[in-house]
Amino acid sequence: MATSKKVITRDEWEKKLNAVKLRKEDMNTLVMNFLVTEGFVEAADKFQRESGTKPEIDLATITDRMAVKKAVQNGNVEDAIEKVNDLNPEILDTNPELFFHLQQQRLIELIRQGKTEEALEFAQEELAPRGEENVNLLDISHRLKTASEVNAAILTSQSHEKDPKLPSLLKMLIWAQNQLDEKAVYPHINDLSTGQLENPSE
Amino acid sequence: MNSTANSDNGRRNENCDAGDGQDLILHFLDKVRLSRGDAMEESEGEESPTELNTINSAGGFLIVSPDKLSVKYTNTNLHGHDVGVVQANKPAPFKCLTYYFEIFVKDAGVKGQIAIGFTKESFKMRRQPGWEVNSCGYHGDDGYLYRGKGIGEAFGPTYTTGDTVGGGINYGSQEFFFTKNGALVGKIPKDIKGHLFPTVAVHSQNEEVSVNFGKTKFAFDVKGYEASERNKQQMAIDKISIPPNIGYALVKAYLLHYGYEETLNAFNVATETTVPPIHIAQENAIDEDDSSYALHQRKTIRQLVRDGEINAALARLREWYPQIVQEEKSVVCFLLHCQKFIELVRVGKLEEGVKYGRLELAKFVGLTGFQDIVEDCFALLVYRKPEESSLGYFLEDSQRELVADAVNAAILSTNPSKKDEQRSSHLHSHLEVLLRQLTVCCLERRSLNGNQGETFRLHHVLNNNSTRR
Repeated sequence: MATSKKVITRDEWEKKLNAVKLRKEDMNTLVMNFLVTEGFVEAADKFQRESGTKPEIDLATITDRMAVKKAVQNGNVEDAIEKVNDLNPEILDTNPELFFHLQQQRLIELIRQGKTEEALEFAQEELAPRGEENVNLLDISHRLKTASEVNAAILTSQSHEKDPKLPSLLKMLIWAQNQLDEKAVYPHINDLSTGQLENPSE
Repeated sequence: MNSTANSDNGRRNENCDAGDGQDLILHFLDKVRLSRGDAMEESEGEESPTELNTINSAGGFLIVSPDKLSVKYTNTNLHGHDVGVVQANKPAPFKCLTYYFEIFVKDAGVKGQIAIGFTKESFKMRRQPGWEVNSCGYHGDDGYLYRGKGIGEAFGPTYTTGDTVGGGINYGSQEFFFTKNGALVGKIPKDIKGHLFPTVAVHSQNEEVSVNFGKTKFAFDVKGYEASERNKQQMAIDKISIPPNIGYALVKAYLLHYGYEETLNAFNVATETTVPPIHIAQENAIDEDDSSYALHQRKTIRQLVRDGEINAALARLREWYPQIVQEEKSVVCFLLHCQKFIELVRVGKLEEGVKYGRLELAKFVGLTGFQDIVEDCFALLVYRKPEESSLGYFLEDSQRELVADAVNAAILSTNPSKKDEQRSSHLHSHLEVLLRQLTVCCLERRSLNGNQGETFRLHHVLNNNSTRR
């Protein structure tokens, strides 16, 4: 290309890296956000004590949320629905799709247990009017999918973001490097898991 | 306070060259200054245009109304050098995602040769914006866009009496955009550098336009436009794939690095017992070995510092890592003594504080690198309620955390298995390394755009819950 890119040496780049003003509290907040959103209630509690970081949400609500998630993961869908309604009945009212998926999961669990008659009855009464095609319903991963769907819905109902910020920032790092690549040559971090700074390859 | 005088204090200097690792740990002194609020948010409040500039306008051809918000062409135009141009009183602010303003055509006059655009301060005020280099303008009579290339290019609809037309700059994408009656007309790359003034031109008899710099509601939904621009960017970011469970690995490494042992244990138990268990990549097993070095000792001392038990922390250090506290003028000793002093002030034991200060802190007076912090510490004594003073940050939890982090880094630096070139990793957790890289990339990109657009700040990202639903 005709346009010449700015070349930044490793030394210059490292100086810039060291000059960044990052607050420890902000990093702690980021870690707390991860623990809370992913539902690590014990760890969040310890982290609050060890680092003085306040969780952005009442830790008790994590326990409830995780109980719902776990119930779905273990196949106790009825129990999960009851718990969600205890938490906030509006969640299922305002998320008909989620409610359908939970009912569907309940049917799957009946079939898994071999309760065919019950399953048939349930399907006709609760699911037939909505009918939806799906493959691999019996796969365990479907439970996880439904579980994370409930988890997200509960978080949203608590006006909390459904995803932790950390992965999104990591994606942003890759994006920011790509953007800067158009204008400059500088040391990259290509492997997030090592964080190794690699010299620009020309 | 002496906030500006010491910007260079944290750099290396011979006075506190207390040997191994000190160089690295010096950076914690800068962190103290960071909490003081030095170098904070370089003036975010930019001035915006509020009215038309009546001094710099093309006198004789136009009249600017007394409220300086509308302009009328009063002459009869004869040729291309008698355009009535008027700029805003200030350039468009640029430390933001977008700048935008609107005009309302009250009267298209005889020929409707109205233009809206952006020009540099030095612009010839008798030419239409876009006719000269370093300017751009969307013209009402032909709907063309001119950007200093001699000829215009087909751009959008024409506009006339009763229309509201807007001009904007998107600093993120480095584009100009124009609107008509609340709808986006189009955008073009912005290749002009430096300050740009919102500009309006009228060029035939009785042409009259009023300008809205944001005092009244815009016809165009700028906030919505900004949100959709951000969303576009976010969608591009979301599409990027990262290794699965990297978040877990980073959090784990972070907890290890700072010695949050109990959190780490709870986290480990939880990730192992979920269904299915979360597999955390172990490719950098050596690294982990390294950061679990002295985990329990680091945790214990961190807890003592956080509880304000500085004497106990010092005693442990003397027992377990005498090499760290051997040099009494080291950064770690300094920070611990400061903290002890602060703890005495906190509980109101001022006399004891003075005694302690004379004994342990006086020796740092006059040492560059420490001087300003020592002074600020001693200044705590003059306030009846120091926690409400400008030095209140010393009494905050974050100061204890900072001292604990410095001690943690010092202990990590005693790890014999650590090679020299890896030394800097005592200071920064893996997560911090990535966040630094992210920040510099964003800053650098912004600086290559003439420092235009928003700055990336972790703090803002964390405190902004509304950007995504």
